[in-house]
Amino acid sequence: MRERPQQSYLGKILLIAWREFRHTALTKGFIFGAVALPVIMIGVIAVIPKMLTEKVPPLVGEIVVLDPTGTVLPRAQEILVRKRSMQEKLDDLAENPPADTGSRLDAVAELSAQDEQRIEVTWRSGAAGETAESLKTMLSKGSLIAAASIDAAALDPAKDATAFELFIPSSLSPKHVGQISRALREAVEEERVARSGIDKALLARLASPPAPRTLRISPEGSEAKENTELRFIVPAAFMFLLWICVFTSANYLLTTTIEEKSNKVMEVLLAAASPMQVLAGKILGYSAVSAVMLVMYGGLGIAGLSAVAMMDLVPVLHLVYLAVFFIMAYFMVASMMAAVGSAVSDLREAQSLVGPVMMVLIVPIMLWMPIVQNPNGMLATVAGFVPPATPFVMILRLTAATEPIPMWQTIASIVWGFACALGMLWLAARIFRVGVLMQGKPPTPKELVKWAFVR
Amino acid sequence: MERRAGPATGWMGRRSHRLLFSFSACSQQWPWRARGVATLAAPMASTNQTPAVRIERVQKRFGQVQAVKGISLEIPERSLCGFLGPNGAGKSTTIRMIMSIIAPDAGRVEVLGSSAIAMKDRIGYLPEERGLYRKMKVGEFVGYMARLKGVHPTGLARRIDDWLERLALPGVSKRRCEELSKGQQQKIQLLASIIHAPDLLILDEPFSGLDPINGRLVTELIRSEQARGATIIFSTHQMHTAEALCDKVVLINKGEKVLDATLSELRAKHDDRGLVCEPRGDARAFADRVRTEGIALATRVHDNGTVDLDLADGHDADSAMSAVLGLAPMRSLALRRMNLDDLFVELVGAGDGEIKKGARIDA
Repeated sequence: MRERPQQSYLGKILLIAWREFRHTALTKGFIFGAVALPVIMIGVIAVIPKMLTEKVPPLVGEIVVLDPTGTVLPRAQEILVRKRSMQEKLDDLAENPPADTGSRLDAVAELSAQDEQRIEVTWRSGAAGETAESLKTMLSKGSLIAAASIDAAALDPAKDATAFELFIPSSLSPKHVGQISRALREAVEEERVARSGIDKALLARLASPPAPRTLRISPEGSEAKENTELRFIVPAAFMFLLWICVFTSANYLLTTTIEEKSNKVMEVLLAAASPMQVLAGKILGYSAVSAVMLVMYGGLGIAGLSAVAMMDLVPVLHLVYLAVFFIMAYFMVASMMAAVGSAVSDLREAQSLVGPVMMVLIVPIMLWMPIVQNPNGMLATVAGFVPPATPFVMILRLTAATEPIPMWQTIASIVWGFACALGMLWLAARIFRVGVLMQGKPPTPKELVKWAFVR
Repeated sequence: MERRAGPATGWMGRRSHRLLFSFSACSQQWPWRARGVATLAAPMASTNQTPAVRIERVQKRFGQVQAVKGISLEIPERSLCGFLGPNGAGKSTTIRMIMSIIAPDAGRVEVLGSSAIAMKDRIGYLPEERGLYRKMKVGEFVGYMARLKGVHPTGLARRIDDWLERLALPGVSKRRCEELSKGQQQKIQLLASIIHAPDLLILDEPFSGLDPINGRLVTELIRSEQARGATIIFSTHQMHTAEALCDKVVLINKGEKVLDATLSELRAKHDDRGLVCEPRGDARAFADRVRTEGIALATRVHDNGTVDLDLADGHDADSAMSAVLGLAPMRSLALRRMNLDDLFVELVGAGDGEIKKGARIDA
């Protein structure tokens, strides 16, 4: 028998890992995608508001105000056409945020509108004999865009402000409703102020509280202007970075595994390496892809921050946490994707298996605001210990500057998270071993469990 | 030989010298290595007459279908064995069990004195369904497979180019696999299975989808691999290729082995008891005379004017030939050769008849 060199166990794993890396990360597609994605995102952020501002719907029609004192109408008329400053619009938006997405977009559009909205509104006070009931009939016939009935009591400064009635037809857009009701409300308010004899300007001065100039004093004694918005955004940036890097490469892992199965390359591969070697090689290979992305995007972010001298937002400890939770997140998500990829024979079948897992992983994205605002709240604490979400929630909690979380929780989540990651890896290996040679219909969850636990 | 006799550490040493990182110091404690050594060393040290493949009473069931019903066979080293059988007979399942790609429900499989898992690097395998990485370049793909099987990277590219030339695919090394035709892809995959000069070569339907020229090329390749010292198993349903190539044929039908013999055994059994004659005159009259003269027990007259005779007990081939020549002038006269095609139909056809009958009743 001839002398025959053999490939070692680890050697095969490394070869497989290198091939996966080489044919994923070192391809034109990947490099283009990695560069193009941020460019496209910036483009979208710049272009979308422009598209939104294109058209502000004009407000045209007749409004009737039933007002026994006759003082509200002229004020409302004036307020409606008065050009409001940006700050007023912002304050108003913050006070009364529109309920649905459509009107929210409208509001944003109005904020950034360059061209003036066309307003052609005829105001008239109620004619003799007109009542709320007759106005309602007119509205339903479509001859008015709004009608209001103001109680004299609402204008009395000695009493608590009471509601007035505003009738609108069913077809009026929420944006116009907002404009009309605001004009009327402010008119009532002005009237109340005028009747009380207080100077309006004085009132405005008194009502606006002094704003603090917040300075954060670091342990070294340096002062930095506090930037609250950024302190909310930084944890989200950490989490999204983690999310994008882990999911992009885990998705590659999923699709290439399915491709190898449907291409029948898998059988050739398994004649050369064991399922465990194939799995280990693939997970290792895509961990490198993932790490490259993390370093690239993370590096870009840090470069950007240091360019504007805001590196104090990202302490070194946070970068350490990022690395730790990145490894945890990668192994959790990659094991799931490998298991699913080995079990199904096309991408559509994979979707239905990945679906429930994705629901859990969307949680940190949906809840980033509450978690960052209250990193020690019940929600954040519990979510931090729910396995596939653990690394994402923990990175949010740990980088949220509002309040430090207890050390024991950090350590416990790391230990627990890695234990879960290992468990998931073990399960994935069991499923992969069986699934990779299966053809035909996708397994039911029950069968998956059988593959994992039955020898 | 050295390797078999050598202590486990020697084998290990050779393995580890090629590691990308050197783990030789700690490798002996690794459980998977220790296991590998045990299964390797024990049977191999015993004898060199171990068959390349031995399977004993293997069974495999897929759901309701019993795909393999207790097949046993031995394939001697350096032999060229054909697995024959109709579609769905269980050939590929048997091959996949030999490769340890699927585990048998019962029975034992021994490959190269061990298992296909431990012997991966010494086995070349061409699966029934062809698979290549579509976006990978041909040279890269073959190189990757070779490296996985332990071929040293030095000179590998050169070796691949030489092989591609031999397979009448010069210069495709830099092309992507998906750019090749189906036949070309099949040759590439065959190359990937023999690039590491395996001791055992298992080819599932290597001829399907090949034109006659490429078919001949692959035939030559299989012969040269055998000459190199490899044991070869291939499955096919082309009887004439099997007849031309094999030392040994195994016929599988409905999950059972219905024939297992060397080709020379088959010839000895089926060859000599018949003649094929082409008389000049009336074939029917000739056939009647042959029977009345007591040369043949039975005759079959074919439309093309040839007559098949089954020899009578008192005659051997030589005496019958001279007797037949005495009866009528002959255009041709030949010994009736064993024909695998006929044998196949004879052994398998009966079963198919049953199925047809069943189907009719159902309808």
